[in-house]
Amino acid sequence: MNSCTAVSETARGRGATNVMVHLLLKLMAGLYNRRASLREYLRWDGGWINFSIGVETEQGTVRQGITFCDGRVTVHPFVPEGAEAVLVFMDEAAVRNMVSSPPNELFNLLMKNRVVPRGSIAYLQLFNFLLSVLLKKKHIKMLRKASKKERSAKIACSGSAVPAKKATYLKAGARDNGVKYLEDAYLSGYSLEDFPRLKEFLDIHFTVRPALCHERPLLLTEWFLENGFEKDAEGNAQVPELRQARAFRYLMEKRKPIIRKNDLLAGTTTTKEIGVVLYPDSHGTMIWGELFTTPYRLLNPYDIDAETVEVLHKKVFPFWLRRNIREAVRDREAYPLCQQLDERFAVYFLWKTVALSHTIVDYPKILSLGTAGIMKEIDSALEKTTAKDREKRDLLVAMKITFQGINAYAANLAVQASVESEAEKDPVRKNELERLAAVCRRVPFQPARTLDEAVNALWIVWVGIHMENTNAGFSLGRLDQWLQPYFEADMKKLKSAAAREEYTRHALELIGCFYMRCTDHLPLVPDIGNYLFGGSSSDQAITLGGVTPDGRDAVNDMTYIFLKVTEMLKIRDPNVNARYHNGINSEAYLRRLAEVNLNTTATPSIHNDEAVMASLAEFKYPAEHLRDWSATGCVEPTLSGRHIGHTNCMMFNMVAALEMAMNNGRHPLMRWDVGPQTGSADKGDFGTFEKFYRAFCAQFNFLAGQACSYNNMLGRAHQVIRPTPFLSGMIDGCMESGLDVTKGGARYNSSGTACIGLADVTDSLMAIKKLVFDDKKISFSEMLRAVRRNFRDDAALLALIKNRVPLFGSGSPEALDMANRVIEFAHDCFGNNTNYRGGKYTAGFWSMSNHVAFGNLTGALPSGRLAGKPFTPGLTPEAHASKSLLDNIRDVSLLKVENMNNNIAFNVKVVPAPGDSHEAAVEHIHSYAKSYIELGGMQVQFNVVSSAVLRDAMANPDQYRDLLVRISGYNAYFVTLNRDMQLELIERAEFGV
Amino acid sequence: MKHQAGVGFEDNGAGSALVLEIKGNSLDDGPGIRSVVFFKGCPLDCVWCHNPESKKRGYELSFDAGLCVACGACLGECPEKALSRKARGFIRRERCTLCFRCAGACPSGALSRVGRNMSIDDIMEKVRRDIPFYKTSGGGVTLSGGEPTVYMDFLSSLASSLKKEKIHTLLETCGLFDMNRFSEKVYPHLDQIYFDIKFFDDALHRKYCGASNRTILENFTKLHDMLLAGGIPVLPRTPLVPGITDGEKNISAIAAFLRSRNVKKAALLAYNPLWHGKNDKIGVVNRYSKEKAMRSFMKQERVDACREIFRAAGIELVQAE
Repeated sequence: MNSCTAVSETARGRGATNVMVHLLLKLMAGLYNRRASLREYLRWDGGWINFSIGVETEQGTVRQGITFCDGRVTVHPFVPEGAEAVLVFMDEAAVRNMVSSPPNELFNLLMKNRVVPRGSIAYLQLFNFLLSVLLKKKHIKMLRKASKKERSAKIACSGSAVPAKKATYLKAGARDNGVKYLEDAYLSGYSLEDFPRLKEFLDIHFTVRPALCHERPLLLTEWFLENGFEKDAEGNAQVPELRQARAFRYLMEKRKPIIRKNDLLAGTTTTKEIGVVLYPDSHGTMIWGELFTTPYRLLNPYDIDAETVEVLHKKVFPFWLRRNIREAVRDREAYPLCQQLDERFAVYFLWKTVALSHTIVDYPKILSLGTAGIMKEIDSALEKTTAKDREKRDLLVAMKITFQGINAYAANLAVQASVESEAEKDPVRKNELERLAAVCRRVPFQPARTLDEAVNALWIVWVGIHMENTNAGFSLGRLDQWLQPYFEADMKKLKSAAAREEYTRHALELIGCFYMRCTDHLPLVPDIGNYLFGGSSSDQAITLGGVTPDGRDAVNDMTYIFLKVTEMLKIRDPNVNARYHNGINSEAYLRRLAEVNLNTTATPSIHNDEAVMASLAEFKYPAEHLRDWSATGCVEPTLSGRHIGHTNCMMFNMVAALEMAMNNGRHPLMRWDVGPQTGSADKGDFGTFEKFYRAFCAQFNFLAGQACSYNNMLGRAHQVIRPTPFLSGMIDGCMESGLDVTKGGARYNSSGTACIGLADVTDSLMAIKKLVFDDKKISFSEMLRAVRRNFRDDAALLALIKNRVPLFGSGSPEALDMANRVIEFAHDCFGNNTNYRGGKYTAGFWSMSNHVAFGNLTGALPSGRLAGKPFTPGLTPEAHASKSLLDNIRDVSLLKVENMNNNIAFNVKVVPAPGDSHEAAVEHIHSYAKSYIELGGMQVQFNVVSSAVLRDAMANPDQYRDLLVRISGYNAYFVTLNRDMQLELIERAEFGV
Repeated sequence: MKHQAGVGFEDNGAGSALVLEIKGNSLDDGPGIRSVVFFKGCPLDCVWCHNPESKKRGYELSFDAGLCVACGACLGECPEKALSRKARGFIRRERCTLCFRCAGACPSGALSRVGRNMSIDDIMEKVRRDIPFYKTSGGGVTLSGGEPTVYMDFLSSLASSLKKEKIHTLLETCGLFDMNRFSEKVYPHLDQIYFDIKFFDDALHRKYCGASNRTILENFTKLHDMLLAGGIPVLPRTPLVPGITDGEKNISAIAAFLRSRNVKKAALLAYNPLWHGKNDKIGVVNRYSKEKAMRSFMKQERVDACREIFRAAGIELVQAE
């Protein structure tokens, strides 16, 4: 901890609010100083926690500070110099607002930039925690009240009940070449009713509240305290890769080996039934201030027990105050502009503060060689090194240590399975446990031989991946391809049709168990995240179908097994993505994708294989590697097992660039003249549309440059704080290069962006071009005046925009050209930036749920979109662009794929007519998907649900706990979303099928 | 058949036709995904017509109060002072000369010109874009109205252009046309016909549809015979309009007529009341519009009873949509 130095005085505030803040801080200080029980919170196992926090207004009318030093709390009538963090309020009203608001509304103040944090967010979270020690009872009461209020607000938006349809299943008409054993590939004879085990797991999934788990952070912190983080026990600088490897091995050896009751897979991500994993080395401390209130928050509450609060505050979090990715950048780079921008929420959000994940490991290698085989490779690589290859040797040794860790965990699971099988009375379960023990004795150490071994090996490695690195977007890859050999090997041994049928059932159940295992953990979402990325799980993408590395039809038995499991379980995660290669994959396969999408309402997302591969042409990847691409996180392409593409490194708000171009570099919500001065529309600086377009590009370029610099700084922080030797051992290239994946060791490197607001930007540019410059209906300054007034008293202009401006998705070639121009610029702009691993930045056009969050932080637009309204999801056209879905589909399919090298999310909401047969509905969805792909479209996701059903679900969440919806790239349960997101889904254009 | 050309519309024979709209992505007007071309102008005057704006062969001015933002931009534009907030339906139709200056000035589209003069190329350009959708879904183009055969020469060129591009073409017709011209000019280019039979009794047809049905029934018989001789499918459709066409007598008579012609398949279309607002927009008064039966959805029992009559006559009912 920092030492407490004498506090030097700075300027003072004045006025009633200043006095109020002073008194409140005094009250806080008094309580902590007087009560010994409270004072205990000021220290952790490592000693007193010393720090200062300041509070001020932008005008300087309020200036107060509080210092925590060796267990004494002191209040100052000024902001202490060198305070770890300062809360800067927009004005005094914002201060008073903050004091009287429930915790959930504080995020709104933060997001809307009415209060801006300056300095360390980790220390602010600590301060929040100390506040909530005093205020928790009041906060919980406020949250309960807010929860009731929210409930009635939702009921007010809702509609009447809609009867649910029962699922129907088609039979496969034709058989794909790769399907060797399944008689009816659609597996229409099976339903969830045939799998009581899976039904039971599903029930747990929907009824058990996730709980915060402290196992990982506690064990790791213990190890680091014992062995040192920056320096080892002897005082030598730690090699980060070796340090992380040893800590990982310790964690894997010590963590509790758990086999979920009745499961066919051994091992769990946490000690809880559904656990929230904590990574204090990245964003874990973000939950510090909410530890007491998190079970009561409105959206996606977490359980937490008293022990966990105690452990996190006294043994874990304080250790990480400065040792996390975000704070490391703040310290090392002196709080750069690019970081300040990120922390204002409105222009971009960098996922790298949370993780460097979003990739796919070389599973085929692990399954076929086992960790034993990989360790042997490491040994022979080590033999080839000499003393001067220090860095390489360290990494190779580190990799090996991590594999020892994973092997130890598997061995512990084997012992656990044996112990449990001995105690088990039920002979069937006893047998299963014995087999599990045998499986865990073998894999992942040895090569897998059966489907059971392969799936268990996958899962154990998966647990390890999430113990090393944050569970945000790590993806599973082409599991149908990689598991098919084991399926076939098992089938080959079976002689009778009955035995094969029984085995098919077992394969379905086993994959079902694997899906349900993947739901045993959730990423940590601090409450503000509920408003930014509501309802998202870890987004563990599975990719099906497409072509083999040598270009043949890849659809096989396991493809259909996965599709059936997807259809029966209807869960949000794993996020299922299907590749469809026109001309190579069969119609029967595409029809099945349409049917599963219809029956699940939201998944799989369908990719045009050729278009995705064409989008990556510029990288000149070898064809056999390119053909092995998998979707990652949401939709983004990664070359499986060879590529660190951190495909969701940032969510980038393109509309912010437009707003700044309209305001000469000033961002209205942030009240900040931060961009270059590109000309004032009010002063008539833009004589032509082209001049204005260049201003937009200049602002875009500025923001993108800042976002990329921050990403690079965060990336370098990962190299020091959390390199990932376990992951590196499973990504091609690292062993040869001798570099960890965080340092560019992978064979292929890139960083993927999500550019948000394409339709809103395009339509706004079209409105400016048509009305201001082409038709000269109004002047630019009149347009801006209307925009700034949110079109209040400008109904005629608003109507003119909506009627006379051709929009993206309307079939207008001019609007389409504009959209193509914007994506080309975005692609080139990001493509000109190089990441810290030597790779390029790619441009994607999908939005997770940030189209709602960014929309909330954006004023009215020339497109007629009103202030605070969501943007359209991904690159989906505006709902009123055309009455015909075909115009939408056609325009999206005509966007140039070479400019969309991080994929897209095109959402289509379709609703079967009440009288339509199941066959007809499948046929229609199939036709839309097929035409879209033939036209060259890249990705599409159908939400097969009506607004009426969504409204009913708003009012009666209990009856719709499993209603699955596509947000933009990922799936979520509708009832877990915040109200804005729910309304956005309801307001999307709805087309009949 | 002679039709009076409306104001502001020049009949160019085969060169152009008056089109109400082209609706893309229709799933209810024939097989697969279709584009529907609605022609404007009809020889019949059915009282329940769901597209009253498609009856007149000429431009009309429409006012949609729901879209109006009350900006007043139109008021000064009208040289005849035909627009007034005091006037019922906003337009004093007796003064309006259909110059459409108001529609040009209207920012919201509340005031609009109904009908667009379109050439073969105009239509082909619009429908051609959706060929990939027709192809994957087994869809195509549906020619509807109004009554497409009002523009017989034009229809002939259009259908032959569609045929050239291998687009499946379906005609929806009221059946009142010159059979000789039709079978020579249009029929060879079509793939399918939906043929409406509303009444069997001629007097009722005259009363509710404004013309005799004798030609219609003859035309149907001929087309059906052509089908039996290896021609294209013709599906008879009967709209069930409460209290008007859905009587047992009428339905039985139609069923008997079809049976006597050896027809195997037909369609019955249940009434929906979602069209009344359209009359107001173009300033048309329809006294039937006020009747309660015309303002509600049909009772399922009534639909079922009609279907039963057809089934008893040995006619299979198909989803015609």
